[in-house]
Formats: sequence, C-alpha cells, structure tokens
Amino acid sequence: MGVLRVDELRKSYGDVRAVDGMSFDVERGELFGFLGPNGAGKTTTIRSLTGQIVPDEGTIDVLGTDPTTAPIETRTRVGILPEQATPPSFLTPREYLEFVGDVRDLDAVVVADGIDRWAERLGFESKLETLHTDLSRGQQQKVMIAQAFLHEPELVLIDEPLANLDPLVQEQVKQFLTSYAAADNAVFVSTHNIDVAADICTRVGIVADGKIVAERSVADETSDDLLETFLDHVDDANARDLPSLERDAIQT
Amino acid sequence: MSGAGTEVSRSTQSSKSSSVPGQRGGPGRQRGGSSLAGDGTNRLLFAALLREEWRLHTQLFGGERFLTFPLLIAVLAAGATVALVETGTAASTVVLGLHVLALGFGLYSGTAGFAGSSMLENVFGGLSLVLGTAATLPLSRRRLLGIFLVKDALFYAIVFVLPMATAAIPLGGVSATTPVDVATLWLSLSLVFAAGMTVTVALIALRTRGVPTWSLLALVAVAALASGVLGSASATLAAAQTLVVPQSASLPAGVGIAGATALVAAASLAVYDPTYGKPTRTAADQFARLRRLGDTVPDATGVNDPLVVKTLLDLSRSAGGVWKPFVSAGILLALVAALVGVVHEITGIEPAPGIFFGGVLGLSAFTTYNWLTQFDALESYLAYPVTIADVFRAKRTAFVLVGAPAVAVPYLAAVLWFEATLTDALVGAVLLAGFGLYYYGLTVYIAGFDPNEFLFDSVRFGQFTVGVAVALVPALVAGFVVVPPTPEVALALAGIGIGFGAIGAVLSSRAGPKWDEKYRHE
Repeated sequence: MGVLRVDELRKSYGDVRAVDGMSFDVERGELFGFLGPNGAGKTTTIRSLTGQIVPDEGTIDVLGTDPTTAPIETRTRVGILPEQATPPSFLTPREYLEFVGDVRDLDAVVVADGIDRWAERLGFESKLETLHTDLSRGQQQKVMIAQAFLHEPELVLIDEPLANLDPLVQEQVKQFLTSYAAADNAVFVSTHNIDVAADICTRVGIVADGKIVAERSVADETSDDLLETFLDHVDDANARDLPSLERDAIQT
Repeated sequence: MSGAGTEVSRSTQSSKSSSVPGQRGGPGRQRGGSSLAGDGTNRLLFAALLREEWRLHTQLFGGERFLTFPLLIAVLAAGATVALVETGTAASTVVLGLHVLALGFGLYSGTAGFAGSSMLENVFGGLSLVLGTAATLPLSRRRLLGIFLVKDALFYAIVFVLPMATAAIPLGGVSATTPVDVATLWLSLSLVFAAGMTVTVALIALRTRGVPTWSLLALVAVAALASGVLGSASATLAAAQTLVVPQSASLPAGVGIAGATALVAAASLAVYDPTYGKPTRTAADQFARLRRLGDTVPDATGVNDPLVVKTLLDLSRSAGGVWKPFVSAGILLALVAALVGVVHEITGIEPAPGIFFGGVLGLSAFTTYNWLTQFDALESYLAYPVTIADVFRAKRTAFVLVGAPAVAVPYLAAVLWFEATLTDALVGAVLLAGFGLYYYGLTVYIAGFDPNEFLFDSVRFGQFTVGVAVALVPALVAGFVVVPPTPEVALALAGIGIGFGAIGAVLSSRAGPKWDEKYRHE
C-alpha cells in the first residue's frame, strides 16, 4: 500500500525550474533512496512533501493527507529531518525532545521513555543535560535523528541522514533505518551519496533536472551498477562535479 | 573502503614529510618556512583582512550607504558639538565626551577578534573569515589575531574616529591651524580607541589563562577606590583625565600612553591561549519545570505553550541572559532622560514626563522582539506540526511576559524621578502599553522574524519610521505643549494609546498569515 505518492510535481523559483514533472511513489516496508546531485530538486521536493512550500503544479499524497492544503496534518503524521538542521542552541537534548513531544502532543511518559531509548541507541546518554551549543555537529545530528523518530511515525523523510556521524554510529543508524522500514513503515532518504543509497535502500529513484530519471531496485544491483546508472542519467557537468569522489571510492 | 584507506595513508605521509608534492619551491624552498613567517606574509594577511573588512561592510550596507557613513558621523559630531557649545557646555566637557565615546567603542571593538562564529552568524548570516584560516593553513592563531587587531584599529580609526575628530572645527573655529587641531584630536581619540581595544584584549587573554574577568574588574575598582581614599581625589581624577584625554597631557606623557598601550597589547597576545575553550555548559530540565508552572495558569494566557517556553529558555541562556531586554530599555531610558535635560536646557520647557517617557519607552518593543527572535529561524519550526501563525502567537506571548516588566521598571523610575502628576503618569502608562503593542505589531508585520533587516533595508526602515512617527510625534507634541495634561488632553491621549494598541494587536495577529503566505509561496 502506498504511503507516499507524487504526481507531476512542479515548482519554480522565478525563472529557475527546481522541480519539473517529478513523479514517484513509496510503499510500506520500503527504504526509498532519493539520489541526485546538489541542485537536482531534492530539497524542494521534500519541502513540498512536508507542506513547507506550495508547489506550482502536481498532486501529493502523504499517508492520505495533502501537505499543500493540510500541512499540519501531514507533519503530525510523518517524521522530518531537514537538510543541515540543528537543534536549538540553548536547549539540552532532553529539553528539546520534551519540546518536540509536547508540540506533537505525545504523552509525557512516552516521551521520557523515548528519550532514554534514543539516547542509549545513538549514544548520547551522557550528553542529555548539555546545551546543544556545546555539542559536536555529530552529536547534534544524533539528537535530530531522535526527534524525527520520537513519535514512531509510519513515514520518515530524511535529508542526508548520516551527515557528521562517526562510522560506528553510521552503521547503527543504517541498521536502524533498515529495520524501521521493514516493520511495515517507510523511510524516504534524500542523499547524493551513492554508497549510502546502495547500502541501505531497497529502491532508488535517481533525480536530475527536477525529476526522477531512473528507478532501480537496489537488491539487484551492486554499488558500481548504481553508479553507472547514476552517471548515465545525470548530465555530464553534474556527473563530473559532484559524485566523482564517491566514484573513486567505489572503484578503488 | 580500501580507497579511503589509501587516502588516509597518503595524507599521513604528507603531513610527516618535510616537502609537499606539487608545492611551489619543492623541498626546503617553501616560502618563509613551514609557518609562512616573514614580513611579506604579514603584509599579505593585513591586505587580505583589510579587503575583507571593507567588503563585509559594503556588502552588508551597500557601497554608497557605507561610504556615506563617515560623512554622517562627521555631520553628527560637528552638529552635536555646535549645539552643545551654543547651549553653554564647556569645550573641555565636549572633548572629554568624545574621548569617552572613543574609549567605549574601543572596548567594544576589542571583542571582534574573539567573537564566536555562531554569534557572527546571528548578526551577519553565514560567514567564513580570513581569521579562521589558522585552522587550515600553517599560520598561528595568535599571529593572525595580532594582525587582525592592528587592521581593526587602523580601519576604525579612519572610518569612525577620524569623522569624530571634525568636532575640533566648531570647537576651535576655522583658522590656519584647523587641520592641526583636527589631526591632534584624531590622534588623541585614536590612542584612546586603541587603549580601549587593548584593555578588552588583555582581559580576554587573561581569561584564557583561567583568570576570571570579574576579579580583574574588581581589582581595578579597588585600586581606583584606594587611590581616591588614600591619595587626593582631585589628583586621582586628574590622572584619570590624562589617561582618557591624552591631548590634555604633555607630549612625553602621550608618548608614554602610546608605548604602554603597545606593550600591553603585545603582552596580551603573548599571554592569549588560542587553545582555550569555554567550559561545557549543562542544565537541569527547565523545560519540564516551566511547562508545569505554565499549567497552573489559565490556558487562555498562552503561557503553557511549549513554543513560549522554548523562546524564554533561548532568551535566558544566551549571552546576557534574561536581563538583555531590561538593559536595552534602561539604555533607552538614559538617552531619553538626557534628551529631556538637553531640551530643557535649550528651550526651558520640560515635557510631561508620563506622556513623554510612556511614548518613547514603548520603542523598546523593537529591541525586546529582536532578543526574542535572535536565536532561532522560522524555517526551523516547519519540521513540526505547527503553523507559522502559532509561532508568531507564541512570540507575542513571550513579548508580553518579558517586555512588560522590562519597560514598567524604567517607566516607574522616570515618573518618580521627574515627579509626574498622577494623571500624567496614568496616561503615560496607557500610552506605554498601547504604543508598545503597536510598535511590536508594526515590527512583526513589516519585518517578520528578521527585525535586524531594518538596518539594511531602506524600504522597510522607511515604513517602520513612518509608522512610528504617526503615533509618537502627536503624543510628544501634546506632552510638550500641555504640561501637566488637562483632563481632556489626558482622555484624548489615552484614547490614542488604546487605539494604537488595538492596531498593534491586529497587525501582530495578521503577521502569521502574511508570513505563512510568503514562506510557503516563495
């Protein structure tokens, strides 16, 4: 059953077409990779999916809600980890997660339990009372991951989930995302990292010039295959500029 | 993974090697050695820092607007001097005032090199400064800081202090020696400015070695007190005046002050520990405590909203704490009180204090709102199931909670000090509340979540200025003309206060939908 359906989405900023005919869907149990270079339209799409901006054209269905007309209903149902987002500087992780639980109208006992569970899972138990401004970027990212999952949503939309995390935590997060999606939920991961997409996603949509240009089931492909598919569909300039480091890493 | 491993071993090898493959000069020929030492590099850094400073300002304010800034300072300095001298203020007092201003600006400017990136980003947006290249280039932080401070001293001595020195023209009159008078005042002011910077740098340097700032300030206070008690008070004052106004001292004394400043500056840089980091801050769970507290008051107040609690925690834990709005209102009070004094001295008229202070102190709504939005961005709330209107509503509640006591205290002080009549004080209180809410609504409606944009956006600044003038000017005129206010005038002004308060409430409630529309349909 589809949890996310996007049809012919379009969004322009002045003369720039950021999203231009985007269509895809995500089913329960899937960990969908939204793979593309910077500037391909990934962030604009996520902002449309969560009702942060209103698209020019197209339809979106998120767990039966329309984020364009009912953004609060959509954001109540899903978990969101925006690109480059950091938790409030002058709150501690415990206070911030209480704040998120409060805004999401969760039971205080459930929130307290969730805070302990997430802090242990991502290894920030000893930092629960430290102000975010004094935490490393990696520790802040852990807190942001925790806030996206605190209410155990059926669908989570994440922009670059592994940014700033150390290798050990990266592995833990990868395993968690995989198991979370497998438990009849869905996870939508936006990334420009082919390694990450190949490693954890069940299906990948390759984005270029504001639309999906190819879809692949990752189970049948190696990282090299995915890279070649990516390069085949992304224009030359982008292919040379952005994923070259990842290409080197995979090929060596 | 093997690729990554190869990269790591390569970089390790590079860092151990005395020569870097592909680097100009090859082994043993790196310019100036491994630390890029030498006068050439110092000049290069100085030029880069100076260019950066210039571009930072022209980018922020616009080239023409920044170029006219020194002219504006010159006009203000000369104009204020003329006004003060004409109203009987002694020339020496004006000169002392100018030096105190330069000293204060120097004390403030000394912090620039040490400001954290988050603080700078709050003010200027995303920035990457040459000062930060010590992290990526073989340049010591101490050396970069030294050149940065020299650059700052020279830059502001020209852009800010030199225009101030035009005050010498009305003080001495135009004659053949005018250029010398201006140059002398400029040197004297620049020296005090540099001394102020040096004092701040020295305090920060000592703090990086574990010496608390308060203990140093207490030491200075005790020394001043002791010299006043043990010695002659007049001698102490004379010594202080020599330090603050170098042009009043002899040439050797002036040279001595300059030399001492340079010595202290160099010593401070030597003492400064670039590895110093502020201790990590922890906090008990205040969010839950404040939420429990909020639950004890009726829902209609909006106090028990988590968005309000977050705003209050942001305010109380950022630098300056919850007192920032009180300090801003206090500064406004001091300025208005001085203005009342000057106006009284010039015209012989003293306004109705309740009406005058009530109208003007409401302006602190702008600074209070600025403090409440300084530490977060509207976009950050869009990950949660809240509307932009919810966020603005929470800010308004926080504004009332913080802003009301922040203006009530200075207002009470003013009406007591200036002995307002009861009617005048009551009308002033209504004006204060009404105008405060109006200025708040005006700010939120025009500037949304970024009140600082007033500083850089001439259109918004113009709208705000006109909006303020429409309310304030008639009230101030009435406050000057009818002293104390008659019952009719009092009623009319109270009505004006209530009316503008209502307009403010409407503006602030419409700000949410307006900015929601703007953000979602960008």
